[in-house]
Amino acid sequence: MTQLGQALVLGVLIGGIYALMASGLTLIFGVLHIINIAQGAFLILAATFTWWMWRAVGIDPILAAVVTTPLMFGLGWVTYRFVVSRIRGQAASMSVLLTFGLALVIEGLLNVVVGNKFRSATPSYFEESFKVGPILLPKAQAYGFLAAVAVLGVLYLILTRTWTGRAIRATSQNPSAAALVGIGAAGTAALAFALGSASAGVGGSILSVLYPFFPASHYDWISRLLGIVVLGGMGSLPGALTGALILGIAETLTATYGGLQWATLVFYLVIMAVLLVRPQGLFGARLREDMTA
Amino acid sequence: MTRLLRGVPRRHLIAGVVLLALLVYPVINPWQPYPQGVMLLAFLLAVQASSWNIISGYAGYISLGHSMFLGLGSYTAAIIALHTGVNPMWVAPLGGVVAVLVAVVFGSVVLRTRGHAFVIITIALLLSAQIVATNWKSLTNGSDGITLELPFWSSDFQNIPFYYAFLGLLGLTVLFSAWIARTKFGTGLIAIREDEGKAASIGVNTTLFKILGYAASSFFIGVAGGFYAYFQTFLNPVGAFAILGSVLIVLSALVGGRGTLYGPVLGAFIVQLVNEGATVFGGGSSTRVLLLGAILVLVVLFLPAGLLPTIEAAWRRRHPVRTEYTDQTSVLSGTPATVVRERADAFTRDDDTAEGPLLELRGVTKRFGGLTAVDGADLTVEKGSITALIGPNGSGKTTLFNLVTGTMTADEGTVTFAGKRIDKLSPWSRGHLGLGRTFQVTRLFKDMSVLQNVVAPLPDGKLSTMLAGAVSGAEAARARELLDIVGLGRFAGQRAGDLSYGQQKLVELAQVLMLEPKLILLDEPAGGVNPSLMGRLTEVIRELNRNGVTFLVVEHNIPMVLELCDPVVVFARGKAIASGPPDRIREDPVVLDAYLGDDWRPAPAAVEGGLDAHAQ
Repeated sequence: MTQLGQALVLGVLIGGIYALMASGLTLIFGVLHIINIAQGAFLILAATFTWWMWRAVGIDPILAAVVTTPLMFGLGWVTYRFVVSRIRGQAASMSVLLTFGLALVIEGLLNVVVGNKFRSATPSYFEESFKVGPILLPKAQAYGFLAAVAVLGVLYLILTRTWTGRAIRATSQNPSAAALVGIGAAGTAALAFALGSASAGVGGSILSVLYPFFPASHYDWISRLLGIVVLGGMGSLPGALTGALILGIAETLTATYGGLQWATLVFYLVIMAVLLVRPQGLFGARLREDMTA
Repeated sequence: MTRLLRGVPRRHLIAGVVLLALLVYPVINPWQPYPQGVMLLAFLLAVQASSWNIISGYAGYISLGHSMFLGLGSYTAAIIALHTGVNPMWVAPLGGVVAVLVAVVFGSVVLRTRGHAFVIITIALLLSAQIVATNWKSLTNGSDGITLELPFWSSDFQNIPFYYAFLGLLGLTVLFSAWIARTKFGTGLIAIREDEGKAASIGVNTTLFKILGYAASSFFIGVAGGFYAYFQTFLNPVGAFAILGSVLIVLSALVGGRGTLYGPVLGAFIVQLVNEGATVFGGGSSTRVLLLGAILVLVVLFLPAGLLPTIEAAWRRRHPVRTEYTDQTSVLSGTPATVVRERADAFTRDDDTAEGPLLELRGVTKRFGGLTAVDGADLTVEKGSITALIGPNGSGKTTLFNLVTGTMTADEGTVTFAGKRIDKLSPWSRGHLGLGRTFQVTRLFKDMSVLQNVVAPLPDGKLSTMLAGAVSGAEAARARELLDIVGLGRFAGQRAGDLSYGQQKLVELAQVLMLEPKLILLDEPAGGVNPSLMGRLTEVIRELNRNGVTFLVVEHNIPMVLELCDPVVVFARGKAIASGPPDRIREDPVVLDAYLGDDWRPAPAAVEGGLDAHAQ
């Protein structure tokens, strides 16, 4: 029983972190209808940078998010303005190929610059835990979860309480109507892409403590994040949160009762099972499309 | 002989010459194992890129994990060889079978929905295959991998047998791909890429097509896997399910020209050479990832169509073919009506003997969140009528169309067509029953030719129809006749997107006729069409109607509706508020209030003070 409780609690902690990582992806999809395959590479990039700061300066890896988040925001903005925006209006498959290419470029650069080996940031609290009753809360996971929830909260406030957020939501719902009331589609799109990338900044910093990584790890991550987004329904933020929690819990349960090596596989099986019943994902809606030319 | 060759398109001639050169190369230059090795890997990559092209080029569903099928084929052949002692080459076709099975199983889960789930699952499948191969040790020997025996032939032959094996496979793959492109199956795949919702509305069973397309794209890669395992004599999970292999496939097809027959092959040769060069000069795999990624980004940004289509477009620009875009002469002169009637007669079904109305809606309701677009609507369309559906914008007419054709499903109510409940059927099944529609804004497949657009619809779900030829033969001939009916036969070879808007509307009508429909739903046929084409359109509608085709028309052009249609149904706030012959509708006070307005109010019997309708 304690074992089950332990697995569930850990699952929720990890799920919260996954939720943060997937929220950026789903935000970008919701506004731009682009699947950013490079989101995993952004995560690994931020994680590598965090690791480097932790080694070089001794900054706490999770606190390093304060640095990596604006950096990734900037990188996302630049990437959108100079690369992704060039293929706006083309078939969706082109954006998949383009961001796939970007992911490879980042992977290749990391390979060349820092080398192809496993890394992990291990701050002093790395192996410590809080004890709540019979359940152990590993400090790294707990701090990561708190950071993730805080950032998700901020993201939510930005989207619901600020003019920028309303502009982003308006554009995601109806780009031409948004343009008519004075919301520049290009600027909003760049902002959304930058915000989505920024979430990979925090996510990457947290990742650097919790999971060993190397440049090619981004495949694992993007496939996990995309799995969450598909499970929840493309472009749905509540869907991404639910999907992330399901993934987190499925993973810790499998790791506890089966074996860690099967954890990812079990998650994919869950996705398949959900898609079998609900092809559009848990929260996915079918869009009205008869009016589009 | 030369006359025979002249009839063959130039690209096929070039391909034949290249094939001949490749066939004789090992014979005239047998002691060059290195270039032969590079070439046979290029053949292997070309097999994979050509196969990938079927699902990702023709149908437009990008797979980023296609190298999985090579690994599956390799493991299948290697495991059988390990346990039975049979040479892996002889069981290589089983690798193809396993690949097809995996594609069908996962495809039928993922491909039921439209859009992006597929791309994601392809990556997930590749990674999952790696996990399974690593952990299912009793079967795959885990990460230690499987070592196979050396080739049984004398080492004097070097890799020449592999050279011919892969070249032969490449030949088969290209022939297979060419055959698909010439069938209605291939046209359907391209239709899915261009506009999936529209494809479903013209009888293309999009789910089945995509699953079959995915399966077709996996077979030859699976077969090649067995040969590849034997060629390498060793395989392990990391090597067999490497994502870099998928990168090479995607890049090859993209560089050469996605969706073309020879593009992926050309691209594979180029990419293989670049890859080889990078290995020789550029060091390890880390720089290769960077290089391939950079090329991918650059190609997407600056050469999105790929080499072959770009070259072809440049050739066309230098050797333009004169085309005439207007069809004024034939419109103004008008085809004799009898000719149209004769032809229309041949395209309508008269097999239905069911009694009662052709289409009947009872209590149909559709809500979008809090908005009830269609609110318990009843509607009856009698056989042989031209029924009009008019009403203010937002009254639910188009939504009703979508519910009838299956683009959306109703929350409540029943839809009966020719005596059969259809409200739970897929859009394509409704198409097969004889229900066709046009769209408010035309939705032709813009990058296909006009003829292909008209060939694409499938009047039934039979396999024989699916595999019927689309380029020549009975189907193409029928499509040409239909184009003649709407007066656009001369445009058959044009790109559909280049036609004028009104002409596109007529092509869309011809497309629907290919379904042999009993009922055609026209969504604002007059919108954006000039008067002369409009006349042509009403003429065609009348002729078809005389030959037994029933119409349901949504239209705002009231004079046209009142002239053409009977009865007229008026829709407001999601339900019918009136229906009857046009004369009665014109004077119905309810209709005047809800929709027509005062302009149509009959002038008072005694007009005092000279007030006319507009002045009120």
